[in-house]
Amino acid sequence: MAKLATDLELDSALTLSQAAIGCDFQIRQVEGPACSQLRDIGFCEQMRVKKLTNGRNMLCTVCGTRLALSKDLADQIQVVPA
Amino acid sequence: MSDSSIEARIALVGNPNAGKTTLFNALTGQNQKVGNYTGATVSRKSGTFFTPHGHKFELIDLPGAYSLDPNSPDEEITRNVLIGDQEDEETPNLILCVLDATHLERHLYLLIQVIDLGYPVVVALNKTDSAESQGLRLDPTALSEKFGVPFITISAMTERGITQLKQALRRPFPSPPVRLWKGPAELEEAIKKSTKLAETNGEKNPAASGLMAVVKDNPEAKEFIQKTRFEYIHRAVEVGLQRPNEELLALTDRIDAQTLHPIKGWCIFTALMITVFWSIFKFAEMPMGLIEEGQETLQGWVGGLIGEGDFQSLIVDGIIAGVGGVLVFLPQIILLFFFISLLESTGYMARAAYLMDGVMNKVGLSGKSFLPLLSGYACAIPGIMATRTIPNNKERLATILILPWTSCTARLPVYTLIIPLMFAGALQQGLALFGIYALGTITALLAAKILKPRLGKTEPSQFLLELPTYQRPQWRHILQQVSERAFAFIKKAGTVILGLSIILWFLETYPKSDSDDPIVQQSESFNGQIGEIIEPVVAPLGWDTRMGTAMIASFAAREVFRSSIAISYATDEEDGEEMRDKLSASTRSDGTALYTPLVGLSVIVFFIYALQCLPTTVIVRRETGSWKWALGQLAGMTIFAYLAALLVYQTGKLLGYS
Repeated sequence: MAKLATDLELDSALTLSQAAIGCDFQIRQVEGPACSQLRDIGFCEQMRVKKLTNGRNMLCTVCGTRLALSKDLADQIQVVPA
Repeated sequence: MSDSSIEARIALVGNPNAGKTTLFNALTGQNQKVGNYTGATVSRKSGTFFTPHGHKFELIDLPGAYSLDPNSPDEEITRNVLIGDQEDEETPNLILCVLDATHLERHLYLLIQVIDLGYPVVVALNKTDSAESQGLRLDPTALSEKFGVPFITISAMTERGITQLKQALRRPFPSPPVRLWKGPAELEEAIKKSTKLAETNGEKNPAASGLMAVVKDNPEAKEFIQKTRFEYIHRAVEVGLQRPNEELLALTDRIDAQTLHPIKGWCIFTALMITVFWSIFKFAEMPMGLIEEGQETLQGWVGGLIGEGDFQSLIVDGIIAGVGGVLVFLPQIILLFFFISLLESTGYMARAAYLMDGVMNKVGLSGKSFLPLLSGYACAIPGIMATRTIPNNKERLATILILPWTSCTARLPVYTLIIPLMFAGALQQGLALFGIYALGTITALLAAKILKPRLGKTEPSQFLLELPTYQRPQWRHILQQVSERAFAFIKKAGTVILGLSIILWFLETYPKSDSDDPIVQQSESFNGQIGEIIEPVVAPLGWDTRMGTAMIASFAAREVFRSSIAISYATDEEDGEEMRDKLSASTRSDGTALYTPLVGLSVIVFFIYALQCLPTTVIVRRETGSWKWALGQLAGMTIFAYLAALLVYQTGKLLGYS
């Protein structure tokens, strides 16, 4: 049942680049070639993230820190509304 | 380390922007030593300090790192020193971990990795004053309990809590904390085995090396450990940190809404850059005048002390004129470094990198190349060293190769000699200087676009950049950086430029001519003879033999161009006005003016593009690990400079300019 719940949650997850501006999200999964680098800088599962701008490079805040990241990297971060 | 009175070595670690260097300065004051790590140009900064109990410790300021899984050469040094893998560097006795209280949750990740290394650890919880003003409520006691290491709240900038921090560093050091996470039995077994193997191999820190070896070979284990560490941090901050409503961070948001705006942001950026270049000309006027007056007085005084003859000529026309002609630019160099440090200190530089990423991307680079390129405007050497923060190797190489085309301060003496021959008025001169910098930059970016695809296949560059909260400038830190650079410049004037001035004076004075006419003497001297040989090469650029010899001399250091021109035109080099008057009045053998605006442009174009700096070539060799790139860059840039100056002069002549 727990696995089913996680799967359902991941189904409803969107990538950070798809997420809406100004809303709070929680990171559900970080997956992709740069996942380790992303986790090192703070984009780790369970962390709260707020997206500030869209564009080729987007701005967001993670744990109070403002970070700029490219769309390719944002696509590797799955988030759900917090 | 040879100092036997040092009782222990403390390594200072922290994320970039955590305030590590400010704390290092606050702890060590003036007792600092800067060197290099063996085999790398990453600078090794260390210093000593006394605790209130009279213990003397050495503090090593390690490069900033987000984690101990290195993503750049800088972070690799930090990791290697901590696990005892760095050549000629002993492992530390204690780690002082600096955390930014305003970004605590994210900075704790490095702490949790440091704890895993098995050293005694003390945490300096920095920027607590900013955290308080943002409404963050920190509980250092709860954090100390959660992480098993002492948390000392400080503000390195105002030096609040420094005494308490020194007290916490007393001997005996706290016991090494225990690892805060536990993996499944299989992973724990692998770590145990790997640690044993590291022990057998004689590693300096088997526990750390063992753990890192497991992580390196097993991506699944790495992911598990990363997630577990963050889960621990998440739980820990629930008790140790209360976050206010995020609206309180609105000031940075409000400023960013302007500085990162697609149109307003660029207007602000351009206005700032023009202001910087205008200020360099405007505010340097008065101190430069004072230096010139001082030099004149010195020349008059020394000239009076020593009887007329070659010795007087060597001191007055060779040494004082040669060295003084370079020293007079100290105010401009100080101003340029001041503005770069100021923009960095306030947090604006990261925004500039963000803005520039779009432009950089079009030529195959990323915004991360912006800071090295901007540092290149001050001096190519720190700029090339700053490329170590670029994780992508090809992008780093392309940045190193184009970087000398961002005009460094050594070119300023040449520009400021020639520009006033072409334009009058501070504003026009400032704009001309801005144009010169823009031309160098645009060519550099175009060169990157051509070069990058030819450097081999590479992964697409990923832009990931922290934008620090805006803060008031750290004046002490700025002052220190500017004074370090100013002293390096004075040292260069007192060594390299001094030596070259003596050589130039010798080449200009000997062999002696029978005639008293300085022009005959000039043409019969060694310098004149060299000039005759290279005249066919420089004549198509519109230059005469004296400019040709000055150009040859400037390959040792660009500033020497001005000294050489001063010596060969027998002017008082400190007096820029007198020198420019003489240059304006100088003529060719057919009686036409020599220094026309077209010739001035040809000289400037040559200096924008030529790589006339031997230390840069040496650093490029060290950073790229190959003479092929260093010498290729030197030859390529020199040929390009010559062809560009040739094109400018010949096209100008065809269009009817003289």
